[in-house]
Amino acid sequence: MNDIIELLKADPSVSAWRVTEKATVSYELFFVHRDLETVRATDTAETQVTVYVDHDGKRGDSTFTVYRSMNEADIAAKIENAAARAKLVFNEPYELPGAGTLEAALPTNMADADPKRLAADIADAVYAADDQPGGSINALEIFLYRDTVRVLNSSGVDKTQTTHRVMIEAIPTFTDDKESVELYEDHRFTSFDPAKVTAEIAEKMREVRDRHEAKKPQTPMKINVVLRPKETQRLLADLARDLNYGVAYSHANLHEIGDDLQKDCTGDRITLTMRGIVEGSERSAYFDDDGMTLTDICIIKDGKAAARYGSSRFGQYLGIEKPSGDLRCTEVAPGTLSETELASAPYLECASMSGLQVDLYNDYIGGEIRLAYYYDGEKTVPVTGITMSGRLSAVLSGLRLSETAEVSGAYLGPVKLLMPDMEIL
Amino acid sequence: MAFSSYLDGKRRDCAELVAELRKRFSYVSVLGTDVRAAAYRADRMSSAAQDAPGECGFVVKMHDGRSFFEYSLDDISGDKKEIADRIASAVETDPRLRGRMISAGVLKDEPLKEDFVRETDFDSFSDAQLLGICRELSAELCAADEKVRNAICGIQPYVVSKLFVSENRELSQFYGWANGFLVALYQDGKMVAARQIEGSDSMKEIIRNLRGSTGKVIDLARHLVTAKPIEPGVYDIITDSSITGLIAHEAFGHGVEMDQFVKDRALGKNCMGQYVASPITNMHDGAAAAHSVASYFFDDDGVLAHDTQIIKDGILVAGLSDRDSAAQLGTEPTGNGRRDNYRRKAYSRMTNTFFCPGTDKLEDMIASVKHGYMLFETNNGMEDPKNWQIQCTAEYGIEIVDGKLTDNYVSPVVMSGYVPDLLKSISMISDGFEVIGAGMCGKGYKEWVRVSDGGPNLKARVKLG
Repeated sequence: MNDIIELLKADPSVSAWRVTEKATVSYELFFVHRDLETVRATDTAETQVTVYVDHDGKRGDSTFTVYRSMNEADIAAKIENAAARAKLVFNEPYELPGAGTLEAALPTNMADADPKRLAADIADAVYAADDQPGGSINALEIFLYRDTVRVLNSSGVDKTQTTHRVMIEAIPTFTDDKESVELYEDHRFTSFDPAKVTAEIAEKMREVRDRHEAKKPQTPMKINVVLRPKETQRLLADLARDLNYGVAYSHANLHEIGDDLQKDCTGDRITLTMRGIVEGSERSAYFDDDGMTLTDICIIKDGKAAARYGSSRFGQYLGIEKPSGDLRCTEVAPGTLSETELASAPYLECASMSGLQVDLYNDYIGGEIRLAYYYDGEKTVPVTGITMSGRLSAVLSGLRLSETAEVSGAYLGPVKLLMPDMEIL
Repeated sequence: MAFSSYLDGKRRDCAELVAELRKRFSYVSVLGTDVRAAAYRADRMSSAAQDAPGECGFVVKMHDGRSFFEYSLDDISGDKKEIADRIASAVETDPRLRGRMISAGVLKDEPLKEDFVRETDFDSFSDAQLLGICRELSAELCAADEKVRNAICGIQPYVVSKLFVSENRELSQFYGWANGFLVALYQDGKMVAARQIEGSDSMKEIIRNLRGSTGKVIDLARHLVTAKPIEPGVYDIITDSSITGLIAHEAFGHGVEMDQFVKDRALGKNCMGQYVASPITNMHDGAAAAHSVASYFFDDDGVLAHDTQIIKDGILVAGLSDRDSAAQLGTEPTGNGRRDNYRRKAYSRMTNTFFCPGTDKLEDMIASVKHGYMLFETNNGMEDPKNWQIQCTAEYGIEIVDGKLTDNYVSPVVMSGYVPDLLKSISMISDGFEVIGAGMCGKGYKEWVRVSDGGPNLKARVKLG
C-alpha cells in the first residue's frame, strides 16, 4: 500500500486520493445431508484506489482496483488513466473526510478460535437440531470470514477495522412417503452461541414440518398479516433508503423532511434510527467506505421524516453540516402491540415468503407466502399456497409494532409488525 | 484487446502447481481469472467513468478420490511446494469430520488444449466517447418532458480472460459483453422509473439501440404514471420475451440445477421423463445455446459449453450440472459449473435459458384473450425447486379487453403459483424470439452470476396480485 501512496503523491495531476484495502480470509464447509462434500479456504485481498482531480471549478473522480498481480509500472499506468478519466467528470466539489486514525475490531467471541474447530462446532450445533422423525437437513453451508478493511486518504484518514462473521445456509427438510418439503434459511452472526444456533435451526425444523402439514386456506380473504423481522427489515429499508442523501440529490426521493409517512395514522408511529453498530450484526461498522466515522441519526421520528443520512459527498451537496456517513444498520423503536392484543383478532403470521415486494413509487406491498400461521381467533393452523397484496400507504397508516425487539441481520427492532386488512388470494 | 497477458504468463506456474499438488491429490486443476470492467454513467447532476468490480486471481480445485477441496488465492508465483503445503494445510478438517467425507467418483481429465477468442469492438470507443454518449442521452431524456426529474444513462463493458489448467487440459478463453441502460425518473402526481436495458458484445449496437430508445422510455414513463394496482385474481396473460425468460429461469431453470438433485433439493430429480409443461413447450439452457451474456466457451470447471434441452414437448428430459454434481450423480457434466468469482465455489448454474418459439402470431394470441393482461419487463423472481412454488414480478402490465390491448397500465404485477399449473396452462406460443442478456442470478440470496433468458411470447393462465 505504501508503494501505491507514493505513486499517487508523485502524480501532479492527482488533487486527492483514497485507498481502500480489503483482505478476507475464509474457511468454508459444504455438507450434502450429513456428509462433507467440499472444504474450501480462501486468502485474498484487493485494493481500490480513487483518484480525485480538481479542474474547471469542479471535482472529478475515478476508481480502479489494484490486484496483487500488478507491478509498479501497472499501477502507475492505472493512476494516469484514472486521472485522465477524472478530468472527464465534472461533479460539484466536495471535501474528503478529514484526518482521523482508528484501529478496531468489532465485538466477537470468535477472534481467537481455530477456524477448523469452530466450523466443526458450528456443524455440530446445526445438526443437534436434526432430531425429529421425518426431518432432515439436506444441505448445510458454513462460511467463516475474517475481513480486514483499511481506508486511507490524502486528508489524513487511516482507519482499520476487523470483522469476524459467520454465515450458515441450512436447508431444513421434512419428508414422508407422499411428499418432501423444505424451507430456505440463512443465519448470520458475529459471536457464536451453540445453544442459540441449535434453537434457531430447531425452530426451522418445526416450521418445515408445519409446511408439510400446511393447506391452502379459503381465499380470497381480507385479514391482518404479521411480518417477522426479516420482512420488516425489508419494508423499512425501502422507507429508509428514500431518506438517503444520494437518493435526494438525484431527485429520486418521494419524501421531504417533515413529511408524514403515516398519514391518518391509526396504529403505532415509526421511529427509525440509522446506526453504525447493532451488536450481533455483521453489517456493523465504525466507518464507511470513505473512512468517515459513522454517527447514528434518527431519520424517522414518530412517523415523520426527521433527517436524512448517507455518505459525506452527498451530504455536503445537500448542505448538511455534519454528514452521518453511510450507515448500514437500522434500529426501530418498539410499539404497543402485546401478545394478548394480537390474539384478540384473527391474523396470518408469515413464516416464510418468496421475497417481500415493496414498491414505494407504486404504493404496493405484497408477495407469495410459502408458509404462514393462520390464527382464527381460537386455534392456529399452518397455511401455504397464498399471495398477499395491499397498498403500502394503508399499511403504514395502520401498522402495529410489537412491544418486544430482537436483532435480525442489520435490524434491531420489533419482532412483529402487523399490517391491517391485507388481501389474500 | 486480447487475452490477459498476465494469465498468459502464468501457464507454466499453473502447470507446476498442478504437478506438485498431484503428488497428494488424485485430481487437481487451477482456474485463473482476469475480468476487467468499466462503468460510465451520467445523470442530470453528476457523472462517473471508472473501473467496475472485476477480479484477478486463482482457484485451485482438488479431489482426493472422495471429497472436493478448493483454495482461492491472488497469486501463484513462487515456490510451488511451499504453496502446495499452504494449500493442503488450509483445507484440512477438524478430526471430527474426517469420517464424514462423501465418496464421489473420480473426475475425468480428458486431454484438450485450445484457446478460444471472441473479439469485441470495445477498444474502438474511448472513455470520452462513452461518457459523452451517457451525457447526451441523459440530457435528451431530461429535455424531453419537464416532468422528468432526472434521467440516468449508463454503459458497462467488461472483458473476461480465463485460464484453466489440469494435468491433461489447458484451455483459455477471452470474450466480452456490455450492458447499457436508460432510466427516466418521471413525476406527474406519482413518481415512476421507466427503464430500457440493452446487452450485446457490440458496443456499436448498444449505442445505436440506446439512442433509438429515448422516445420509448419517455412514452413508457407517461403511461406508467397512469398505472393502477392490479385487482388480485387469476387471469389469462400474454408475456413479453423478458417475462417468458423469467418464467423459464425461475420455473425450470433453478429446478434442474443438478447440485440440488445431489442434495435432494429439487423435485425435478424425480420427474425426469414426465410431463411438467404443456406439450407445445420446449426449453433449453446452455452457454452454446444462444449468443448472449452467458455465452462462454468453457465453464469454471473446464467443461466445454453445451446446449442442453431441458423440456422436450412438455416432458422434462435433462438437467444442468457442474462437474462435482455430475461426479456424484454418475452423469456427464453439462458445462454449467459457474462461480460468482474466483473466491467462490462453483455450483450448477444457468447460462442462457429460454423457451423455444412456436407457431402462433402475437396478434392472434392477444386477440384470443377476453380479459387479461400482457406482462412486460422483469423486475425480479424467486425459485423454489423443492416445492415448485414460483414468484415472478413484472415491471408492468397492459390490460387486454375483448382481444385488444387497452391503454390501462398496471404496476407492479406479481405473478405466483405452482410451477406445473403455470407451465401446463401454456396454450399458445408465438413465432417470435428474443434472448435478453442483462440479467443477474443468485442462488438463494448469494452467488451472483450473469445470465440471459427469454424466448417467444407465451399465453398462459396465472394468479396475479
